[in-house]
Amino acid sequence: MIHLENVSKVYPNGTEALKNISLDINKGEFVFIVGPSGAGKSTFLKLLIREEKASFGKIKVSGYDLMKIRRRKIPYLRRKMGIVFQDFRLIAKMNVYDNTAFAMRVIGSPERAIKKRVKEVLRQVGLEGKEKRKPGEISGGEQQRVSLARALVNKPEMIIADEPTGNIDPELSFDIMKLLVDINKAGTTVIIVTHEHELVKEFGGRIITIEDGEIKSDENYPTKYHNKKTETEEDKK
Amino acid sequence: MKIFYLIKEGFKNIWTNRMMSLASVIVLVSCLIITGAASLISVNVTSLISKIGDDDQITVYLDYEMNDLDSIKLGQQLGRISNIDSYSFYSRDEAIQKYKEVLGNIYESMQDDGNPFGNAYKVKLKDLSKYKQTVDRIKKIKGVTSVSDRSDIANKLTKLNYFVTIVGSWVVLILALVTLFIISNTIKMTMYSRGHEISIMKSVGATNSFIRVPFIIEAMVIGLLSGVISAGVICAVYTPVRDMTSGIIGFIGESTFTVEQIMIPTFIVMSVIGLLIGIIGGYISIARYLRKEGGDILDW
Repeated sequence: MIHLENVSKVYPNGTEALKNISLDINKGEFVFIVGPSGAGKSTFLKLLIREEKASFGKIKVSGYDLMKIRRRKIPYLRRKMGIVFQDFRLIAKMNVYDNTAFAMRVIGSPERAIKKRVKEVLRQVGLEGKEKRKPGEISGGEQQRVSLARALVNKPEMIIADEPTGNIDPELSFDIMKLLVDINKAGTTVIIVTHEHELVKEFGGRIITIEDGEIKSDENYPTKYHNKKTETEEDKK
Repeated sequence: MKIFYLIKEGFKNIWTNRMMSLASVIVLVSCLIITGAASLISVNVTSLISKIGDDDQITVYLDYEMNDLDSIKLGQQLGRISNIDSYSFYSRDEAIQKYKEVLGNIYESMQDDGNPFGNAYKVKLKDLSKYKQTVDRIKKIKGVTSVSDRSDIANKLTKLNYFVTIVGSWVVLILALVTLFIISNTIKMTMYSRGHEISIMKSVGATNSFIRVPFIIEAMVIGLLSGVISAGVICAVYTPVRDMTSGIIGFIGESTFTVEQIMIPTFIVMSVIGLLIGIIGGYISIARYLRKEGGDILDW
């Protein structure tokens, strides 16, 4: 599903954010990307969503070759993924329903399908009955659930979450993580960038540590949430 | 379905940024009024000049001895000169008649032996700027004794026409660029103010054209509205201004266009200009934004 081969990213100012990274992420994996700030985690995500183009190497995501992809095809790549942001990125003037429906509207889905799917996904994230609330009227945890609902609404192949619990209380973080595990169990690949070790320890899965632009470690850490061991690069070797 | 959603979004943009939209409409209206006024002045002066030019016919005097038949034959030679638009025979009888009308009794008292006038032609030129060359050619025709030379006036009219056209075109061009700049800035500000939303749109896979359409619609509506308002203002003040100038310079009244004549073209032209400026200005700023800042998602 995701294939990186000898990927490097050098920014125009000379910063080498990623150095010769190779990895594969398969369908259905639950992956944590961890590492100190400035290690290259964000760059890694930017490459996956093609916000940035790698300087060298090969990247394939959901069948798209990101080194050759045409600009006008990028939106279609992004429709295969749901992105969850640390700062939720909700539209303040829209209610919960419209914020979720927004992702379907901008890809031109018919209103009837939107109605059905939004209802479904809001139930899935536990926001049933709060459709009419504006982001300012709900808690941080609930706002992140809306963001998650919006990421899920187009039935993506993978969820990419950038510090999804960075702006919410620890107890609520736990709920969000449980939601992500449930989403993963339903078959969606989940990739979470975080530096919250407690959560990583608790939820486990595949843990990729990036430090100084390189993959420091890539290991499986089974927990009660993931009894099925996922295959890593090291296992393959 | 999709297009209705986009149009609705465009109108929503205008309402959400209503103060900004209002400000751009006001500035655009002022620019378009000046542009429209400059064009109308130019059109009217051109019409005025061509009317004056019509009156400024050359009189070609023929040899006194030349009989009517020869005189008419000479007319054919005039017809061969390419810059001559039309010519009409002005017989000695007509000349004396006119003379009699002007002088009346005085003429009666000084009358002696018949008509002192020769035959003549009234000639109208196509292009006043070639006045001198044409007069020279006419003078070369055998049997032509003299030509009323008003090259001074012809020169001045040509220069005035040229000046009005050039200045008018520059004014229109510069103001068109100014309005383009204003509208593209308005759209740019709208885009920055909605950068958050655009980054979300991009993250969920909206295409650039989908992101673009509401902004283009916003720019089009602002442009069109400004065009219609300025056309309305121009038409409203046109007659009073025309009457006022006619009061100062009498013949302006008859030689310029009436408000009924200019109303429909003004509305059409101003609306089209407003619309085009909206589309072009909007498109430029959106394309630039989407290429640069608008590409950011995680970093936004």
